[in-house]
Amino acid sequence: MSKTVTPWLDNLLQEIEGIEIRRKDSRRVRIDIAADSLPTLLELLRGRAGYVHLSAITCVDWIDESQFELVYQLWSYESQSLVSAHIRIARDPGVYVSVFDLYQPAAFFERDIHEMFGVYFEGSPDMSKFILTEWNGPPPMRKEFDAEAWVNETFERKEYQPDWLKEITEQGGGIVKSPEEARQKKP
Amino acid sequence: MKNMKEIDIPIEASVEQSRTNPLARVFDELVRFCRSRSMFMLHYCTGCGAIELPPAMTSRFDMERLGIQPMVTPRQADILLITGYVSIKTLKRVILTYEQMGSPKYVIGICSCTVNGGMYWQSYATAKQLDQYLPVDLYIAGCMPRPEAVLEGMRKLMDRIRSGEADGWKDYYRRYDWYLGNQQHLFGDDWQTPADVIGEASHYDLAGSGTEGEHTHLLQQCQKPLEPQQTFFQIGGSLEVKGESHE
Repeated sequence: MSKTVTPWLDNLLQEIEGIEIRRKDSRRVRIDIAADSLPTLLELLRGRAGYVHLSAITCVDWIDESQFELVYQLWSYESQSLVSAHIRIARDPGVYVSVFDLYQPAAFFERDIHEMFGVYFEGSPDMSKFILTEWNGPPPMRKEFDAEAWVNETFERKEYQPDWLKEITEQGGGIVKSPEEARQKKP
Repeated sequence: MKNMKEIDIPIEASVEQSRTNPLARVFDELVRFCRSRSMFMLHYCTGCGAIELPPAMTSRFDMERLGIQPMVTPRQADILLITGYVSIKTLKRVILTYEQMGSPKYVIGICSCTVNGGMYWQSYATAKQLDQYLPVDLYIAGCMPRPEAVLEGMRKLMDRIRSGEADGWKDYYRRYDWYLGNQQHLFGDDWQTPADVIGEASHYDLAGSGTEGEHTHLLQQCQKPLEPQQTFFQIGGSLEVKGESHE
């Protein structure tokens, strides 16, 4: 088999409705698809196109559009090519179906996304805590979680004002910009 | 009480009372010298600072000529080396490790992250100041400190051990309530370790006014007895349970 994504993949994908295919590269395809059709797409890609390896599931929080974007990265060992399937789901309630029945490694990715973003995957074998076993707050990767405010509330900081720094500051050097100022200048 | 000046420091006075041997101070000097020249180091490699330790330990800088050797278990180690950022999850393990070590024990914090969070200053997952949870004897600042700085820090610690200034482990017993309070702030009220720190403090005659307090009372209320470890073996499809029954 050649090492480019062959035309038969295009023909195969035409079987699904409401699909947008963008070729990024000779060996890379981006597919935007409605959330309902994703299991069908994965089943086709796995069963008839040899995309047997689910490399990762990524989550993106689009807070302004009130949506989560889920990206399924699929790799084919035969054609050495990568397919990224992008779907959007509603941010509230943030529930989607698990693809554990198709790809077993999905259990870990889904558990991780549940922990970091609070997305619940129906049918996933384990939705308990994964890495953040000591964490009791809100899912920390959601955009509305302000990590800096949480840190300022939880931890204290050590003051460091040595004499040499004071001297430099008097001459106009030292800490020129505080983090707050640096952030305000961003558009 | 032999000397009225010693009453100012009540804990020191109680130690001084038991010293009847006129050569006690000479022996102390000798013991501290020997201690400072043979240190076993447990490096808990939490972050990137650990990468500077192999050059510090191997032939170029050769830490062993100062009598410092790496050690594999906490119970035989003298120095606990925290090399880099401490996440809250790691901090639990660090405290468990520290409490297993035999006294006298010394903690060295390497890298900026142990001082004030370093580049993880706004991270929700890392503890910011290590010395709020463990008594740190020495910080080696830098991001990361070079092996020369690590060796310089070790020399400094040796000097402090010889002069008797490196007594962070005593501080942990004397102000255990404060340390425990900070730990409970992060880990919740049901935080407990297998070590009986208050019992050890009274064993070493180091129990002071700060050893027990509201936080240790909370610990005693929430304390659960340690359960025997359960071991499971999967043999030929049927699950056999060895050890304590789990029903």
